[in-house]
Amino acid sequence: MNIYQEKQYRELQLETRRHFLKKCTSGLGGVALASLFGCNLDSSPAASAPVAPFPTNPMAPGISHFAGKAKRVIYMHMAGSPSQLELFDYKPELEKLHAKDCPPSLLEGKRFAFIQGVPKMLGPQAKFYQRGESGMMISDRLPHLSTVADEITVIKSLHTDEFNHAPAQLLLQTGSARLGRPSFGSWVTYGLGSENENLPGFIVLVSGGKTPSAGKSVWGSGFLPSIYQGVQCRSQGDPVLYVSNPDGMSGDLRRKTLDAINHINQKEYQEVGDPEILTRISQYEMAFRMQTSVPEVMDIEDEPEYIHEMYGTEPGKASFANNCLLARRLIEQGVRFVQLFDWGWDTHGDSRNTALEAGFIDKCNQVDKPMTALLKDLKQRGLLDETLVVWGGEFGRTPMQENRNGKTMPFMGRDHHTEAFTMWMAGGGLKQGFSLGETDEIGYYAIKDRVHIHDLHATLLHLLGMDHEKLTYHFQGRDFRLTDVHGKVIKKVLA
Amino acid sequence: MQSVALLQNHIYGLHYATTFMKNSVGNIRQPVLWTLLVSTFLIFVYAIWITFNPLSSDKVDFNAEVRPILNKKCITCHGGVKRSGGFSLLFRSEALSVNESGKRAIVPGDPHTSEMLQRITSDDSEERMPPEGDPLSEEEVSILIKWIEQGAYWEDHWAYIKPQPVKVPETEAAWGDSEIDAFVLHRLEHEQIAPSPEADKATLLRRLSLDLTGLPPTLEETRSFLNNSSEQAYEEEVDRLLTSPRFGERWTALWMDLARYADSKGYEKDDYRSIWQYRDWLIKAFNEDKPFDQFTIEQLAGDLLPNPTDEQRVATAFHRNTMNNDEGGTDDEEFRVAAVIDRVNTTWDVWQATTMACVQCHSHPYDPIRHEEYYKFFAFLNNSADVDVPSESPNLTTFKQEQDQQKLESLKNWVIRHTSSADDKLQKAQQFVNLVRVTEPKIHPSVFDTIANGALRDGKYLVVEDGGFARLSDVPLKGETQLLISYSANHSRGKVEIRLDSLNGERLATWNIEKNQGGWRFEATAIPIKSINGKHDLYFKFSDPKKEGEIATIEWLLFHEALPGKAQPQYQQQQNNLIALLNNPEVIRTPIMVDRPERFQRTTHVFERGNWLVPGEEVSPDVPQAWPALPDGAPDNRLGMAQWLVSKENPLTARVMVNRLWAELFGIGIVETIEDFGTQGAKPSHPELLDWLALQFMHEHDWSIKGLLKQVVMSSTYRQSSEVNPELLELDPRNRLLARGPRFRLTAEQVRDQTLAVSGLLSEKMYGPSVMPPQPEGVWQVVYSGRSWETSIGEDKYRRALYTYWRRTSPYPSMIAFDGPSREFCVTRRINTNTPLQALVTLNDPVYVEAAQALARQMQQSASGVSEQLQFGYERAIIRDADQSKLDQLETLYQEAQQYYRENPEEITKMAGNDDADLAALTVVANVILNLDEFVTKA
Repeated sequence: MNIYQEKQYRELQLETRRHFLKKCTSGLGGVALASLFGCNLDSSPAASAPVAPFPTNPMAPGISHFAGKAKRVIYMHMAGSPSQLELFDYKPELEKLHAKDCPPSLLEGKRFAFIQGVPKMLGPQAKFYQRGESGMMISDRLPHLSTVADEITVIKSLHTDEFNHAPAQLLLQTGSARLGRPSFGSWVTYGLGSENENLPGFIVLVSGGKTPSAGKSVWGSGFLPSIYQGVQCRSQGDPVLYVSNPDGMSGDLRRKTLDAINHINQKEYQEVGDPEILTRISQYEMAFRMQTSVPEVMDIEDEPEYIHEMYGTEPGKASFANNCLLARRLIEQGVRFVQLFDWGWDTHGDSRNTALEAGFIDKCNQVDKPMTALLKDLKQRGLLDETLVVWGGEFGRTPMQENRNGKTMPFMGRDHHTEAFTMWMAGGGLKQGFSLGETDEIGYYAIKDRVHIHDLHATLLHLLGMDHEKLTYHFQGRDFRLTDVHGKVIKKVLA
Repeated sequence: MQSVALLQNHIYGLHYATTFMKNSVGNIRQPVLWTLLVSTFLIFVYAIWITFNPLSSDKVDFNAEVRPILNKKCITCHGGVKRSGGFSLLFRSEALSVNESGKRAIVPGDPHTSEMLQRITSDDSEERMPPEGDPLSEEEVSILIKWIEQGAYWEDHWAYIKPQPVKVPETEAAWGDSEIDAFVLHRLEHEQIAPSPEADKATLLRRLSLDLTGLPPTLEETRSFLNNSSEQAYEEEVDRLLTSPRFGERWTALWMDLARYADSKGYEKDDYRSIWQYRDWLIKAFNEDKPFDQFTIEQLAGDLLPNPTDEQRVATAFHRNTMNNDEGGTDDEEFRVAAVIDRVNTTWDVWQATTMACVQCHSHPYDPIRHEEYYKFFAFLNNSADVDVPSESPNLTTFKQEQDQQKLESLKNWVIRHTSSADDKLQKAQQFVNLVRVTEPKIHPSVFDTIANGALRDGKYLVVEDGGFARLSDVPLKGETQLLISYSANHSRGKVEIRLDSLNGERLATWNIEKNQGGWRFEATAIPIKSINGKHDLYFKFSDPKKEGEIATIEWLLFHEALPGKAQPQYQQQQNNLIALLNNPEVIRTPIMVDRPERFQRTTHVFERGNWLVPGEEVSPDVPQAWPALPDGAPDNRLGMAQWLVSKENPLTARVMVNRLWAELFGIGIVETIEDFGTQGAKPSHPELLDWLALQFMHEHDWSIKGLLKQVVMSSTYRQSSEVNPELLELDPRNRLLARGPRFRLTAEQVRDQTLAVSGLLSEKMYGPSVMPPQPEGVWQVVYSGRSWETSIGEDKYRRALYTYWRRTSPYPSMIAFDGPSREFCVTRRINTNTPLQALVTLNDPVYVEAAQALARQMQQSASGVSEQLQFGYERAIIRDADQSKLDQLETLYQEAQQYYRENPEEITKMAGNDDADLAALTVVANVILNLDEFVTKA
């Protein structure tokens, strides 16, 4: 038996995550009930054993609870939160109320980040048109996306609990407004593993010049083993931290150093018999493969000209367009979860950059073409059916114009809003050209088919073939879920 | 006796069977089915009878036999969260009471009238419990029958019973001198496994050194130990390492995870927090071996000790490591409550290994803690003065400049001199020192309950324009004569009048606003105010003849007594000193715990379903009933709570700490779930040993951590070789039985520290503000905060990992790669992973490449022959000789590298730092040595 066969043999002997997942998700009548509780209820020794993970191969492709249509995710988070009232949620009534005082009934008992006193209503700051066969409304801010309206599902009735960026982003990305929980991408990677041995299973790309308000926790692994955390790939410097060899060391020489490391480690294994050494050998091999595969996949220069045109990409620049193209390349390579963060959507109207009539238009222009290109590109490659594409911010924006500290603002802007916002999704297992949910006449409350963040998570996991009540991890005495004790699958959006 | 028991059992069995049949019959309509059921049932009865043979008539062990059944099959619906049918198995009293059905589920001594047994054995799928999943096995049913028959005796979970004196077991073989070894060997003999021989001396010294100080031994230390053939040689090393200043640094790194120590506040802004004095306090506490009970009390309630020292106040920063949300528009009360909740959960995680967080929303699902008990405990921690404001007040201020300390001294003397002899001069003087250094009790603008023509900026600061006012309700005044106001104003215009009880009430003070630094820089000023007693509403009326908008931004208010000696000539100077000290920027501030005085005390309510916006019944501070009560004479505040934790009656504290220390040494705790000793936690692998050690810790070592650690590392169990053969690996893959020594990867901190140490780069500088060793450009891309990562210079580049600036939303990358947490919350156990990102760090991170260069230089200087140089490098890093085959590998690589640099001379300087091709080749080899499994692993 050579060392690699032995490693495989050892892996089988030892408890793996897959056994653990299986154990947690089948044969326990109480799981569904346990999930209502928030604390684990299984006292069998088997359930406590896996709390000491033996991560021999935690990235092995996982086991779905049922056949899911989607296999991979591209999640585009518009950090700061774009205004739904200028993009998807058309409110002619709001137009009529423009510049009138906000009725007190909308303000009573409500808290806003910046609005104080009695603000004025703010009518839509864009023109809306019916698009595609379905006739869904999309504004002229997104002319490209409008051409693929029949591919997407729009949910206009999302609502959240948090009206500040950091907690709202955390709720959206981790299911909890407090720090410390695993991100959605980590859960998915934990549940489904990775299909590529040369790349991380969960990759994060950031544009707009800043990381999200909640920091790297939005792609952290929380209490899940750190192997499930998102790996940020950067457009400048090393695409993955420390992936380049030090100056003065060639790839060939690196290979030779790895051979030396592995040989000595192998010798050590023969002496002391610790199977963890075998894992280390395989992890060093993966690191070496990543040194080639990461820069390769991150280098978009080799894409044909028409692709660059389609996305509006410029190699070597940090941009949302580049990230969209990278997302496709990563998905093609079998990366499970690609998360795009684009910063700069916080349109308060307190400066030109945050003005609905200025900065917001620039932001729309930056994302409209590439995200549409991404959809088309995935489709033409036959990847869209198996890929879940999600786009949106962490909350919505108010139908009132912001009046920070009770003052009139220099530009048109809207404050943070929890009661209604819009996201669009496409691909794996979703209806096409479909619009779910409605808000009231002025777009203040989602009134029909309300979708909470937990419901969104439950639905996305469902599309990936996972039952959100069964995807659990035992930590500090209880089984944790992405959806905590909430969440229901939104059946209406399923194809 | 036996025959009587048999008879009794027999009768019980039959009796039970007949009643059971009657009950079943009532539900059966189909005769065929009836026959079938009866026959099945008779087999079942027989099975029960079999198990009731006299040989097994011993007392049922509730914890070992009954509780697992209840927890597995029943408690989901009949526990602390759900009480289906009004039936709960969390406490005996509840379990025995009459349920909604009017029946009693458990009737002690009488299985046949116990509804529970009828339901679990019912054949009616509507009736049978549990409603889903497999029914209870025959064995399980018979255990429950026997248990109820014997009186449904209840026993607390083992962890809630305080450790009882344990007899050290007798073993067949003789192995080891320590009692620990007897416990371990006893179990091994039972499993018929032999312990491993002692590890070789060099390996042992490396293990010991890494365990006690987090650093490997030097070559000199190794050689001196190898050459020391005295019987006490090992013990001498233990004593040497225990007294090394590195000891405190190593154990502080562990405690920092528990304390969720970070140099930033968390949440969106995640701005800088100056709390490193607390880290330094930890290092000193570990080094001076502060007994664990004192260590605990000072961190949880040092401020409440009589005449607390600065150190004792800094220790309380333990609970000021909670996150603070500075984001504009956030509700400070929401995040204050979140911080208190975190303090409750962390206290229970760290000292009691109890998952208290479960109880925030409902009674614990399976451990004996009621929902309201969470809030009783919360009440201990709910009276601290911190309110989630950006200044993190209250802080302990230390003046950096000697002259400022003198000013404070002079102020103190002034108070002493001018306090009439009837008063306690020293006490009064201390009040003024506290006013300058702690500045409490502040009133923050978020408590203004009415604001007209003004607003709370960012939800935190009061901004008012001409004609506006703000009201404070029910201020408990006690005759204060001065009001301190921290504010910023861009212009000297406008004034504020303070009126009593109504807008036109008596005027207590007038404050003419003077321009100060403005913007977001607040400064304190003092205005005289009329002395009033009792609870009053205060109206702050703003006016500005120019009507030019905002008059001032107010950060906080503080009512206090004016300095004495008003008539004296130097008075104004002292008053100026007081204000100057309050506004002095040359200070170190550390957030600390300070309780609000009685008149400002908060009340605590249960939060319904854990929601702070839905307060329920009011509660006062107390500990859960399943635990011993507060010790006699302990006050019902934080101090009493801390004393209760370290009372020798507390069943958990010593066990939890002993287990934590054990896990640090062996890689796995005696209770594997070091974070959960509750009924859902793992069972101890060596329960008697755990209790024995806990008792030793409290009674023999008087809570000395060094004493306990010495006892463990002196044992033969600890000193075993960690080599493992396939048979043992198969039998005991995770070394629960301890038939071999520990072998696991070093922590994130140790990986860095060891690399710097063996390369000779490590700085031994201790204490002080956190440092910023090199990290790649662009890692800190943060939303706000002007702070950037400014790489430290000089030896600060090479400090031990625990001094690295820890930013919660963007922690130091190589630390995270090796499983360091982000420190947002208490982490009681890091999960070790083994990932390619770790390999990339140690292979390519410039910090590690620089270390390889430094090690290569040492190698080059150590000898003239290449083979010796390589041997030196290996030995320096791994602390033992390389065998020939490993050396051959290194030598082959060396030659390949040399060849490469000969062919590519332009690469030499990049790798070596100078134009020496040999040094470049040695650097490549050093890089390999610093990446070996045996290097990053403690064996």
